[in-house]
Amino acid sequence: MKRAVLLHNIKITLFLLTAATLLSSVFFLLSHNSANVAILYVLATMLVAQNTVGYVPGIAAAFLSVIFINFVFTYPYLELNFTLDGYPVTFLGMVIIASLTSTLTTHLKEQTQILKEREHMLIEAEKEKMRANLLRAISHDLRTPLTGIIGSAESYLEQESALSGDAKAKLVENISVDAQWLLHMVENLLSVTRINDQTACVKTTLEPLEEVVSSALQRFRKRLPDAVVHARIPDQLLMIPMDATLIEQVLINLLENAVYHSGSQMPVDLQVSVEENQACFHIRDYGTGLDPEAMDSLFDGYASTRNHCSDSHKGMGIGLSICKTIINAHHGQIFAKNHPNGAEFTFILPLGELMYESETDSSDH
Amino acid sequence: MSQKLTAVIIEDEKNICRFIESILAGESYKTISASTGTEALSVIASQCPDIILLDLGLPDMDGMDIIRSVRSFTATPIIVISARTQENEKVAALDWGADDYITKPFGTSELMARIRTALRHSSHQGGGSDSVYSCGGLVIDFEKRLISLDGEEIHLTQIEYKLVSMLAKQAGKVLTYDYLMRQIWGPYSDNNNQILRVNMAHIRRKLERNPAEPEYIFTEIGVGYRMREE
Repeated sequence: MKRAVLLHNIKITLFLLTAATLLSSVFFLLSHNSANVAILYVLATMLVAQNTVGYVPGIAAAFLSVIFINFVFTYPYLELNFTLDGYPVTFLGMVIIASLTSTLTTHLKEQTQILKEREHMLIEAEKEKMRANLLRAISHDLRTPLTGIIGSAESYLEQESALSGDAKAKLVENISVDAQWLLHMVENLLSVTRINDQTACVKTTLEPLEEVVSSALQRFRKRLPDAVVHARIPDQLLMIPMDATLIEQVLINLLENAVYHSGSQMPVDLQVSVEENQACFHIRDYGTGLDPEAMDSLFDGYASTRNHCSDSHKGMGIGLSICKTIINAHHGQIFAKNHPNGAEFTFILPLGELMYESETDSSDH
Repeated sequence: MSQKLTAVIIEDEKNICRFIESILAGESYKTISASTGTEALSVIASQCPDIILLDLGLPDMDGMDIIRSVRSFTATPIIVISARTQENEKVAALDWGADDYITKPFGTSELMARIRTALRHSSHQGGGSDSVYSCGGLVIDFEKRLISLDGEEIHLTQIEYKLVSMLAKQAGKVLTYDYLMRQIWGPYSDNNNQILRVNMAHIRRKLERNPAEPEYIFTEIGVGYRMREE
């Protein structure tokens, strides 16, 4: 490792000094002026300091330059002579300038390196924190329905003879409900794996808005057949760049949220509008609204599990944090607010350049 | 029904296999289960079942290979059982000759509906299909090439009509983007299916009251379209 660095340093130093020498020779032969020569060597020294590791190569390059200039470019040529009038001062000056530049550059480089490392560490720490939060939320959210399923199944198996028909039916129903919830959870988690880890981006294709909305509604109705949703989308065909599976997941999460948390049976509104090259999806419920205190940490993933509802079987849990992850990966925004009669979640997707479907009518009457 | 229909269930997960068996037995089907691909192929060849339910994730064989082998000697309908996230797999299975797919987890009614649809289509294959599609307020007369919605005639362009009639003739079955592209725009059509999506959007505006909540043509995200069947 150290040897490789040393070798690298030597190579760079020699290469740059040789280059400076060659250039200087050309200049010198053309103009017989050694002032430019000195400047070229200072430049080379600086570059050496910049491109090598540690202080030594820069300073060494400075000394070598001075000796070289004396040897090649000052009278008597090809001899070392430090006794000429004024030369000692020139050389001393040059050594100092070269050493200083070299030290400064090296120092600067080290500083940048340190800053970069610190930044990197911060980002890593942030990622680690997010991961830990998500894991905590997941284990909580998975354990709750699992406890229900295992408990119900075991009490059924152990007390089968003692239970009434009604009680049995109730237990099996519990298992079914909890299993559905578990499935929903797992689907949410799986959806996140579609997001690229490194870039936190998704592969988007142009999808007709109506298809995504209708597909989401279809799946939502399968899960909650009794819930009523009023969907309204723009009349014109709207193609939006997105990963349709993920946006479908977001829509389902937000709709379920609205049904479970509004505390009312009123229909939920799903409305999509176009504003300034953006598609805005609004999911509005008519219920109790959001707790203002929870507003800030709504999308953090573990907020709802930490305070109040300890039976957060139907807690928002990771659903909202996954919505945020998905929307962020689409370079969009998601936020929540209260309106006079309940809560409203909005997410915005950029439309890109190809927004409206121009009438490329493929008709061939 | 004088004779019981036979279903082969190819699934290596015992629990799932058992529950499908009990559903089918309840609907008075005769069921045969196979947990590996080799076993499945020999059962299918010897028993000539009426329908095949195939889980793609088998221990010994790629599900696609099973579809291919089965298709080499019989047209028995195959319904693929797959996980939610693998759209590519679903599409590939359909393109290799599977008749339909059902996504895990599924309910009893959904499974039975798919099986009935597949059986109906396979029985149609010999003779001619119906000359009229009728569902809700939508009526398509394939001979006269007429489409009406709630008694009112709907005007479609030629391509739109082709698309709708193709979906209607195989109502209940999902047709992949690729299949539709090839059928309508020919084998050398563009890989990009935007033109299909746009045409479907136009059709939806003519047939559906609210494109966001279609009644007749449903989208299967990432796979294709399915027309309502009654």
